[in-house]
Amino acid sequence: MTKSSTAAPDAKGAKGGKKKATPAATKGKGTLGIPGAPVSKELARRAYRTMLEARLLEEKLAALYRSGKIVGGVFLGRGQEALSVALGVHLRRGDVYAPLIRDQAGRLAFGDSILDTLRTYLGSSLGPMRGRDGNIHRGRPSEGYHAMISHLGAMVSTVCGGLMAKRFRGETGAVGATCIGEGGTSTGSFHEGMNMAAVEKLPLVVVVANNQFSYSTPNDRQFACGDLMARAEGYGVTGRRAVGNDLVDCLTVLGEAVAAARAGKGPQLVVADLLRLVGHGEHDDASYIPAALKKSPLGRDCLEIARESLQEHGWLTAKEAADWHAAVEKEVEETASKVLREPAPDPSEEDWNAFSALGRNGEEVR
Amino acid sequence: MSNSSITYLEAIRLAQQKALAEDPRVFIYGQDIGGFGGAFKATKNLAKEFPGRVLDAPISEDAMVGLAIGAAVEGMRPIVEMQFADFSTCGFNQIVNQAATLHYRTGTPCPIVVRLPSGGTPGSGPFHSQSMEAIYAHYPGIVVMTPATVEDAYTMLLEAVALDDPVIFCEHKFLYYHLKSERLPGEALPFGKARITRPGRDATVVAYGAMVHEAVAAAEELSQDGYDIEVVDLRTVRPIDTDTILASVARTGRLLVVGESWPWGGVAAEVISRVATEGFGLLDAPPQRLNAKETPVPYHPALWGTHRPTASSVANSLRQLLEL
Amino acid sequence: MFPSPDSKNLLPIIMPQLGESIAEATIVRAAFAVGDRVEADTDILEVETNKAVMGVTAPCGGILHELTAVTGESYAVGATLGYLEISDEDAERLGLHDAPPPPVEKPKRGKASGASPVDSSKPAKKAVEPTVSGLPVPAHAGGASFLSPRMKARMAELGLHAADLAGVAGSGAGGRVTIDDLERFMQDLERNTISPASSMRVAVADAMRRSWTRPLATVVLPVQLDTLLAHRKRQTIKAGPALYALRALAMGLSEMPATAGRLIGDRLIHPRSIDIGFAVEAEDGVLVPVIRHAEQFPLADLVERYNRLVELARARRLPGSDTGGSIATITNYGVFGLTMATPIPLPEQTLLLGMGAGRITPSWDPEKKAFVPVTEAQFTLSFDHRVLDGGAAGRLLQRVAGLLGTPEEL
Repeated sequence: MTKSSTAAPDAKGAKGGKKKATPAATKGKGTLGIPGAPVSKELARRAYRTMLEARLLEEKLAALYRSGKIVGGVFLGRGQEALSVALGVHLRRGDVYAPLIRDQAGRLAFGDSILDTLRTYLGSSLGPMRGRDGNIHRGRPSEGYHAMISHLGAMVSTVCGGLMAKRFRGETGAVGATCIGEGGTSTGSFHEGMNMAAVEKLPLVVVVANNQFSYSTPNDRQFACGDLMARAEGYGVTGRRAVGNDLVDCLTVLGEAVAAARAGKGPQLVVADLLRLVGHGEHDDASYIPAALKKSPLGRDCLEIARESLQEHGWLTAKEAADWHAAVEKEVEETASKVLREPAPDPSEEDWNAFSALGRNGEEVR
Repeated sequence: MSNSSITYLEAIRLAQQKALAEDPRVFIYGQDIGGFGGAFKATKNLAKEFPGRVLDAPISEDAMVGLAIGAAVEGMRPIVEMQFADFSTCGFNQIVNQAATLHYRTGTPCPIVVRLPSGGTPGSGPFHSQSMEAIYAHYPGIVVMTPATVEDAYTMLLEAVALDDPVIFCEHKFLYYHLKSERLPGEALPFGKARITRPGRDATVVAYGAMVHEAVAAAEELSQDGYDIEVVDLRTVRPIDTDTILASVARTGRLLVVGESWPWGGVAAEVISRVATEGFGLLDAPPQRLNAKETPVPYHPALWGTHRPTASSVANSLRQLLEL
Repeated sequence: MFPSPDSKNLLPIIMPQLGESIAEATIVRAAFAVGDRVEADTDILEVETNKAVMGVTAPCGGILHELTAVTGESYAVGATLGYLEISDEDAERLGLHDAPPPPVEKPKRGKASGASPVDSSKPAKKAVEPTVSGLPVPAHAGGASFLSPRMKARMAELGLHAADLAGVAGSGAGGRVTIDDLERFMQDLERNTISPASSMRVAVADAMRRSWTRPLATVVLPVQLDTLLAHRKRQTIKAGPALYALRALAMGLSEMPATAGRLIGDRLIHPRSIDIGFAVEAEDGVLVPVIRHAEQFPLADLVERYNRLVELARARRLPGSDTGGSIATITNYGVFGLTMATPIPLPEQTLLLGMGAGRITPSWDPEKKAFVPVTEAQFTLSFDHRVLDGGAAGRLLQRVAGLLGTPEEL
């Protein structure tokens, strides 16, 4: 087994031999009426920095898991950071966001922290979940950051609810967003949520990360419509496509999608092809992913593509990339060390009460 | 408000009207509830009176509940109407995995009300007759209300809207038109408190929903034989008012629990378990339960009438209990 | 635990949880040898679950100090697979020497566990005092046959037993005594003179009540005692008639030990040794000292032991080792002038040999063709009818009578 850590970029500059990422030319940008703001240097730099944070944080999570410090599971988004972050950076305070399992980058972009992430994974009693739920199930719903349940598709309608609330209150300009894998689109819950969002014309952005395998199940055993984009028309929503491992392209497409939703153009379904570069969880060696696919353009690491791209645009120097890498690594290390020493939840201090308005677990009326 | 006869159904409609009028956070979401006024007319005219706040939903129970949860998280007080309690199974996942767990997991309360037109009426058959209270009460984090009177239907629905936890509101379809009251109450019993519907000293019948009325009728029948039967109306099955149940059993020494749903792992089983555990020394006879027969709810009125407990089967059970 | 100054920082290498339902994993190979330098976050071991092959990662850099795990063997999640020697800085960071987390269970309320059943510091709960004096009566007397949990709870509160209700006519279903019946009965008692029963009385009542739950029967046999009395007269150290009977019963039982068995469920429990008790009246009750292995010692050897036990019992100083555990009891109710009785065996015993008062009575002597005066007493054998029948009881009693007729054999 090889160590799967992300090598710090060579401060002397990226190797020139690698193929440049090609933004898909056939997406019909600008034809949907609402152009997003062009990708700015500042946005791209923020997105890259967040991707780097997500990547290095997740590598630490994997290491902590393999050294027995994390129980349950660790589910990583390696290879999906570009798509995930591109949604997160386009959201703002007041939006409703329900990330899914491979959205560490999007979470950090939306305002989640390395500290909260580690606290949740390590079960610290100081974290937002207080050991009551773990890993990717974290969130702060009252701040618009929904905490996913494991039942795929369920969060689509929940985000719709948040948007309905804003509509009832006459608040405009907010969008809701959630992510799902291609496998999750097979659920009834996903279908019900999409249909409902379309009926209500909600400002909802749903990003489908088609990473080719639902756990181990290949797409030909998951859906038969060939292209998931075709479903957009069936639901009566706008469909958009992004190159899943190309940060600049993802930023462009998600920027347009979020802007369209914000402008009242109704739900947006964004489909992006990519490859998850890890197992479903860290217990899974992903042996079912063919080597050829891993070597194909789909298998290229979005973090490397992003760094090269930003350097080519002149938005990021090699030295900055190296400095960022070191700084993020240090922050992750320091935070992990701190959280590892934080207290675990104490069963005798736990109130063992699932109710908000009732005491003694529903036996006592408060 | 009208002082002429108010039905149980009208009480539910009026409670929603009051909630909508007094609390801008309230909205109602469900199939056919808008202009049409609902399959049972529980929202009649409300869409007109409160434009944009009484909304038709697609036939998507999962998404209906999901939407309510998301709105509740944002501070709204949604009421979801299931067309029939039976269909709530299609929204089960959102209720038990999302709504019920939300506060425990995240500290964010989930104040939604899901109205379940529950229980049997003649000819309704297996998919329009179910009583789901035990299933939802099983899940920590969910309040389950089972009003048996016009007054409770009104005040408890308003309580449900005000409560910070998800509420499954089991309104009984058989009572919709059968039950009438002269006026709506100004005051309610405290939330979570059972009611002694009929005091007695020879045996206690614990019931809820439509079964309260069967129990009272049975008690009347036994009073002809000189027995004095106490009837306790649980009102909410979760929280369950164990104190009132135990106090009643302490008076009578004998317990019969009646439920319209199936016996296995049900509310009656829970009541008996609590009395056996906490009040064994109060019992003069083994506690008994009377539930529906353990088959799907049959269609034909003759079968249906035997499938569920009735005044006469409750009276029979009581006679047996008094001989034990 | 604090390390001694020269101790190394040894970080256990733990088998991680490698999947939701994975309980163990098998070691495929070690990537490093003991003594190798291992960098942080590299795989030290390769392990295989039924799902995949995975790595076990070093949480920080260090020297591989020891590998306890063996290739090809399976280890549970959480098992220690080896030790990594790490720097002081890493040890500090990973909290290696921190005290272990507090125990999980920290009950905040409720009883202290491990308290002895009797807490002498607290004022003793007022002992249960029987409210009805006199002989115990059967629990299964009509009317009191079924006691509801509620009745039992109330009776426990009042310190009553089912037998106490024998005199109460039940007004409930099937003649059951109801709570109201009980309360009335208790109230009526207050009109009588009431005195507390002694603890000895309460203990006897308890034993008799328990014994009476069994079907008990008695057989009777007149036994001539002249030979025995003559034998006794010849001895310098004289054994009492009860000791003769005890020794005779011991010999009889050693010949037919099944008759002393106890029936528990569907199994007969046979005595390990022939230990026989004898009743000694003491104050307000009866004590039963025991002669152990009575079948092994001739009568003459038993006299001194017997007399000492009688004295100890009368003084109520009988040690625990000299009472209990016997398989039968001898009771000489003849000392009260009684000629015949059907006493109740102890609850844990199957047999009770009773001796009536000896009387001079005419007996037909076929040789002299005349009535001659003989000393005769009625011997009774009360027994648990579940274990033996009248025939077996009769044969045992006959054997005892026979042995008493040849006292030199005892």
